[in-house]
Amino acid sequence: MSVSDATTAVTAELAARDDMIVCEGVNKWFGDFQALDGISAVIKEREVVVVLGPSGSGKSTWIRCINRLEVHQEGRIVVDGVELTNDLRNIEKIRSEVGMVFQQFNLFPHLTVLDNITLAPIWVRKKPKRETEELARSLLERVGIPEQAEKYPGQLSGGQQQRVAIARALAMEPRIMLFDEPTSALDPEMIKEVLDVMKELATSGMTMMVVTHEMGFAREVADRVIFMEDGQIVETGTPEHFFTSPEEERTRLFLSQIL
Amino acid sequence: MGLPMDPVAANVDAVEPWAGEAEPAQKPEEPSLSARQWVRQNLFSTPFNSVLTVVFGLFSLLVARGLLNFTFSEEREWDAVRTNLRLLFTHAYPEEQYIRIWVCVGTIVVLAGLSVGLLAGRGRGVSMKKLSLNLIGVGSAVALGVVLREPSVLKDADGEVLRDDDGVLRESFAAAMADRWAWWLAAAVLVGAGAALWHLLGDERRRKTFVPSVEMFVALVGLLVASAWVYPWGHYAFADGEFIAEPGRTVAMTTKLPWTVMWVLLIAAIATGRQLRRAGAGGGVRVALNLAWLLSPFVLYWVVLRDPALDWGRVATVDIPLAVLFAVGGAAVLWLLTDPRIGELGRIIATGLVGVAAFNWVAAFFGWYSMLQKVRLSFLLLALAALLAHNFAGERAQRLRLLGGWAAVTAVFHYMATIMNTPSTVETPTEALIGGFAVTVIVAVFTLLFSFPLGVLLALARTSKLPIFRVLATSFIEVIRGVPLITILIFCAVILKLFLPDGMSISLIAAATLGYTFFSAAYLAENVRGGLQSIRRGQFEASDAVGLTGVQRTVFIVLPQALRVSIPPLVGQMIATFKETSLLAIIGIFDLLRMANSVIPAQTQFLGVKREGLLFVCLVYWIFAYSMSKHSQRLEKKLGVGER
Ligand SMILES: Nc1ncnc2c1ncn2[C@@H]1O[C@H](COP(=O)(O)OP(=O)(O)OP(=O)(O)O)[C@@H](O)[C@H]1O
Ligand SMILES: [Mg+2]
Repeated sequence: MSVSDATTAVTAELAARDDMIVCEGVNKWFGDFQALDGISAVIKEREVVVVLGPSGSGKSTWIRCINRLEVHQEGRIVVDGVELTNDLRNIEKIRSEVGMVFQQFNLFPHLTVLDNITLAPIWVRKKPKRETEELARSLLERVGIPEQAEKYPGQLSGGQQQRVAIARALAMEPRIMLFDEPTSALDPEMIKEVLDVMKELATSGMTMMVVTHEMGFAREVADRVIFMEDGQIVETGTPEHFFTSPEEERTRLFLSQIL
Repeated sequence: MGLPMDPVAANVDAVEPWAGEAEPAQKPEEPSLSARQWVRQNLFSTPFNSVLTVVFGLFSLLVARGLLNFTFSEEREWDAVRTNLRLLFTHAYPEEQYIRIWVCVGTIVVLAGLSVGLLAGRGRGVSMKKLSLNLIGVGSAVALGVVLREPSVLKDADGEVLRDDDGVLRESFAAAMADRWAWWLAAAVLVGAGAALWHLLGDERRRKTFVPSVEMFVALVGLLVASAWVYPWGHYAFADGEFIAEPGRTVAMTTKLPWTVMWVLLIAAIATGRQLRRAGAGGGVRVALNLAWLLSPFVLYWVVLRDPALDWGRVATVDIPLAVLFAVGGAAVLWLLTDPRIGELGRIIATGLVGVAAFNWVAAFFGWYSMLQKVRLSFLLLALAALLAHNFAGERAQRLRLLGGWAAVTAVFHYMATIMNTPSTVETPTEALIGGFAVTVIVAVFTLLFSFPLGVLLALARTSKLPIFRVLATSFIEVIRGVPLITILIFCAVILKLFLPDGMSISLIAAATLGYTFFSAAYLAENVRGGLQSIRRGQFEASDAVGLTGVQRTVFIVLPQALRVSIPPLVGQMIATFKETSLLAIIGIFDLLRMANSVIPAQTQFLGVKREGLLFVCLVYWIFAYSMSKHSQRLEKKLGVGER
């Protein structure tokens, strides 16, 4: 695909070859309220990053800025070598390369599971229908619910719906997956089935950015943990470092409340 | 703006099954009560309830008696209606052209039969128990009616009681309708049949067997048609102050053969539909049938109203070539534009086409070159399609389907443009060729056909991100909704002509349809907007996150959900429009109401006879409106709306 010269320049200047997401001094306001305050971070290819933080700290806002569901006002975000600007073509390109999984699943209730998964590959990626359906079935196999293809989302359990949502995102063959609290709306007995799928995805080498309160997942799967508060990145580190010897007072406070 | 405001629509995708396919828990069998137990439990459970039952029972009896006496009074001249049936349904449509009407009725009957056979055959119908109870109920009602009817006689202008030669009281109604004992007989037969059925069936289980409603309906229609062969329903000649059933002149006499044909067609169509279903005819046949329904109004309109001496030369040399040119040329352009690999070139071509379309209008404004109006409109259509094309690019089969759609749209558009421009030479006494109920149906159907897409477009425009669309749509909707319908109609009928460019004229019926379309579309738009607003924000975000474009999001995700939520108000709006067509009478169209209200009372033999006609009009409107609302209830149930 063609990437404009300006973007290439930015890429060269800002991002190394294997940088998937680069944020530099990102600021965002809702009215007078500053939700993101000077966020700078780099996420490498195949890296799994877990974002932690108290409620209202801006985790969702940040992750949603990365596929432009929210628009940042200052700073730069470069995703897979393409800078997020108002250029619609860049946004289209990024959205088809970044998969997103929501807390509330957000499946399309009027379409069957299969149609939910195949819709975007057919109409956005312009892939042949039959090929896409085969892909969809193999993805359903991968997330462990091959027998639910013809059902409607409303007929599935929460855990199954979330796995369909993951399959839907994967069907676009994204290079990056974003998860915004994927297990928070689930009953405890369903959390594991979703986390298992995510772990499998991480081992397969997908670049992932995950907002979650599942500390077990962070410890086990994350390459890096980012702790946010009040729209700022407070601390970054490996899980061992983060959970055993955090440097910042605020991090320690948060961990003592949550663990 | 996509916040979940509608509690019905909220949470759609979280818990509930979508297509209503979840099996409802088996309802426990209700213990069946004996008639006495039922009466005690439901009508006389407490002293207070007993008083209520008695008081309101008496009240409804009195109302029923009043209605019956009004309807069946000897003073009612139902001959005014029966003699004028043809006038009420088609006005002055020339008798020698009547075959066209029959072609239309026949087409609709065949389509309905096919649909019923293909789709509705699985319905369980009416249980034997219900059937026998209904028979008994109707029979009792007839008996009650005969009892409640006041004995009344025909009086002349001075209030003198009229007697015939033998000194018997003259009862004009009774004379025409056979005697009262016939009603007693009918009541007895009905009650008897119901009771017999009940007893024959013996135990509860057999009473629960079902009679398919389709068969029952066909049988009833068959009875009615058969009766036309023995009883002279309808048209009576008027001579020497008497109504005489004149053989060969009654409506029944002249229509019994066509009606019989219709009945046979109905049976054949239902049988064919069922055969097709049994043969496993799938989506293709259904799509074809729906298309036939959709196109039938356009074809039938032509059948009823268009000139038998059409200028076929012009049609062959100008109209058809133009249509083919646009269908094929447009298809070629769209084929190119839906190629996934076309990229930037596609945008250039689409923009170019928009430029050409716009330039045609500018040229028309300054009079640089002349061009048929429909060519200009075709260019506009093509430009719009080209602009949207890239959203629907994809594999071969997908693109071919799109081209088929384009060909169909062009065909319908050029067909409409052609028939609108060919004047009719069927001679009639009034400006409009047809009147009565037929015109009501024509206006209502075309209003529905045109206002639905217009309403959806207006709703989308009103919620669009582009301010110009928002402002235009909002102004249109608010202006139309702020003005009484009758004003809009008079505006369209009277004033619109003055605004039209030279050489363009519009028939009264077309002008009225336009007015109704505007009115109905404005209200439909608000209903659809309600549906749009009920869609959760998550749906928009999910569509964006998987990379759908705005147009794709609207077409594949938002509209299907929004329309589904708006079905009940949409149907309500359609029924309202159907009833509001009675306003046609005011702008000078001879519709059903005007026939009953002013035409029939002006006939010498029925001077001032209004009530009968008006009652009849009520009945006709009620039958259609009621069956539409019943049908919509079934549709809602099928779609699971309102059960969430
Ligand atoms: N659309 C919006 N308009 C105004 N304020 C908003 C909007 N979205 C988020 N905010 C505010 O921005 C702040 C950050 O919100 P965000 O949803 O990113 O927090 P979070 O870290 O994801 O919290 P949680 O763990 O509760 O999901 C909050 O104070 C929130 O009230
Ligand atoms: Mg959040």
